Amino acid sequence: MRLEIEVGGRVRTVTVERASAASDRFVVTVEGCRHDLDVRRLDRATLSLIRLDGSPARTSHALTIVETGLRGRYDVQLREGVFRTVIDGRLRSGPAGERLRAGRQVVTAPMPGRVVRVLVAPGDEVDERQELVVIEAMKMENALGSPKAGRVVEVAVREGMTVEVGRMLVAVE
Amino acid sequence: MKVLVANRGEIAVRIMRACRELGFRAVAVYSECDRSAPHVTYADEAYPIGPSEPRDSYLRIDRLLDVAERADVWAVHPGYGFLATFVGPSAEAIELMGGKVTARAVARAAGVPVVPGTDASLDPGLSDAALSASAGAIGYPLFVKAVAGGGGKGMRLVHEPSALVAAVAAARSEAGSAFGDDTVYLERRLAATRHIEIQVLADAHGTVVPFVERECSIQRRHQKVVEEAPAADMPLERRRAMADAAASIARAVGYTNAGTIEFLVDETGAFYFLEMNTRLQVEHGVTEAVTGIDLVQAQFTIARGAPLDIDPVRALTPIGHAIECRVYAEDPDASFLPSPGWIHELRAPSGPGVRDDSGAMAGSEVPVFYDSLISKVVVWGTDRAQALARMRRAVDEYEIHGVKTTIPFFRWLLRSEAFASGPVDTTFIDATLAARGGRPFVESSPEAEELAVIGAALYAFLEAGHGDASSSASVSAWRQAARTDSLRA
Repeated sequence: MRLEIEVGGRVRTVTVERASAASDRFVVTVEGCRHDLDVRRLDRATLSLIRLDGSPARTSHALTIVETGLRGRYDVQLREGVFRTVIDGRLRSGPAGERLRAGRQVVTAPMPGRVVRVLVAPGDEVDERQELVVIEAMKMENALGSPKAGRVVEVAVREGMTVEVGRMLVAVE
Repeated sequence: MKVLVANRGEIAVRIMRACRELGFRAVAVYSECDRSAPHVTYADEAYPIGPSEPRDSYLRIDRLLDVAERADVWAVHPGYGFLATFVGPSAEAIELMGGKVTARAVARAAGVPVVPGTDASLDPGLSDAALSASAGAIGYPLFVKAVAGGGGKGMRLVHEPSALVAAVAAARSEAGSAFGDDTVYLERRLAATRHIEIQVLADAHGTVVPFVERECSIQRRHQKVVEEAPAADMPLERRRAMADAAASIARAVGYTNAGTIEFLVDETGAFYFLEMNTRLQVEHGVTEAVTGIDLVQAQFTIARGAPLDIDPVRALTPIGHAIECRVYAEDPDASFLPSPGWIHELRAPSGPGVRDDSGAMAGSEVPVFYDSLISKVVVWGTDRAQALARMRRAVDEYEIHGVKTTIPFFRWLLRSEAFASGPVDTTFIDATLAARGGRPFVESSPEAEELAVIGAALYAFLEAGHGDASSSASVSAWRQAARTDSLRA
């Protein structure tokens, strides 16, 4: 299986294959560099890896992979923290591809909650980081700011609405 | 003898531990989404009290009282959020000190200086002009604060007159939903101050015991994230003066049980009464660590009507140094927005000098309905340097997968020069965050990125149906255990 995976702004070509049909051994190459791994799935989201390639780095790792709800986008959690990955640039052709359309930036709900205030209307000029929408979640009011200076082209929520993660709130152009 | 613990999460577990040690059976209550939460599995008995929304469950006093009656408990411990009190001070003392405006009046009457501000809460019908005049008399920058506030909720910092009206509206709205009371007042923001607080215990026999101070200046969004005891560079005379001021405020209201008097301390060492918390506090663990006194057990002693048996000298004399880090389910790389969800993996720190007061485990959920506090890590060392080294080690050991947490932020903070050399004022985090200009706390490295790529590739491969890597069901429990053990190394 061959994949293009983006992390930290860099796309890498990756291949994955099972070393032999009935084993937990896998061979993964990243940009041509080969890694021999013993892989076990601890639960659906958690992989336990042991590096068999004599890498000088730590050999035993637990990784949790969480699907973000956007196709091809996975948050991979290591001890160091969470790394956003995009597989096969599907982002560009998927429903969220809209986000990358030139100039247009969409603010989505980072967590489920209730919209307590909508501070802008279509046509408003906004500054970068200007507050657009306030979502109450987990007992705090969380103000979501504009990703860029520009003009509000769409407001997709009303005050009082309950929103899920990833729900589009406001588009700024 | 049974005790109802009317709370959830890490504080419920912490209180139940005290119950176990005292020989009380612990009774838990739970909302729908907390059915299998750690505080429920830890308890000796547990009762459902309704849907997940706090106002339909944990805040339903009628349901809590019903459980108290059915379970036949002698006491109800409220923890620290949610409800006022059962194991705690009198209703009169809570009313006086829980309302920040009346608390300020009490402190003034007890001869303790207070931070300049409005003497009364703002009339909800106040005109914008009258509001501006009132604010002008206090001076900018100032805080709009909820009278019923706590934990940084219902609070707004206002730098200039043009932002005042919106800030008052925002604080009212947040306070109304968090505390069911939307009254607010104004208070000047003093520059370059440290937040230092005094824990007190008071019994029904007139004994008031003030404790060694806690330094709580590491705050973001006016919410404490790291606390220490004792404060760095605290002269003995100032410790005694602050302890005396705290005790006199507690005596003035006939306070009983555990409470905390918070002060702001300026560069000259002058201190001002800020507010009193009429409950156990999140950071009580650092006081326990340096005095060896179990504050929750003492709360039960007081609630039984027994006299406190605590040596006041011991309470004021710290042994070693303790630090606490609050692990929240928040994304430090997205302005600390909450990050609710399921915890897939959890490896808590342990070993010498480490205490992890947690309300989570692998497989548990951080629900969207409640505060996002997952755990409090408290370390103890013979001095601040050792405590700091231990905390660095502890947060490096801590792994929580599935939700984003403040752990990467602590890994950075604990290695920062300014924090290590301490003390710092309450603007420290906001200022350093601004200076970082959005640079992420999650440390990237070529190795980590490569590992993330490998993980994503394997996951995609397995999900695409290219055969399963052995799942836990298909391997022997022995092999699985051995493997889990090898991962701990």
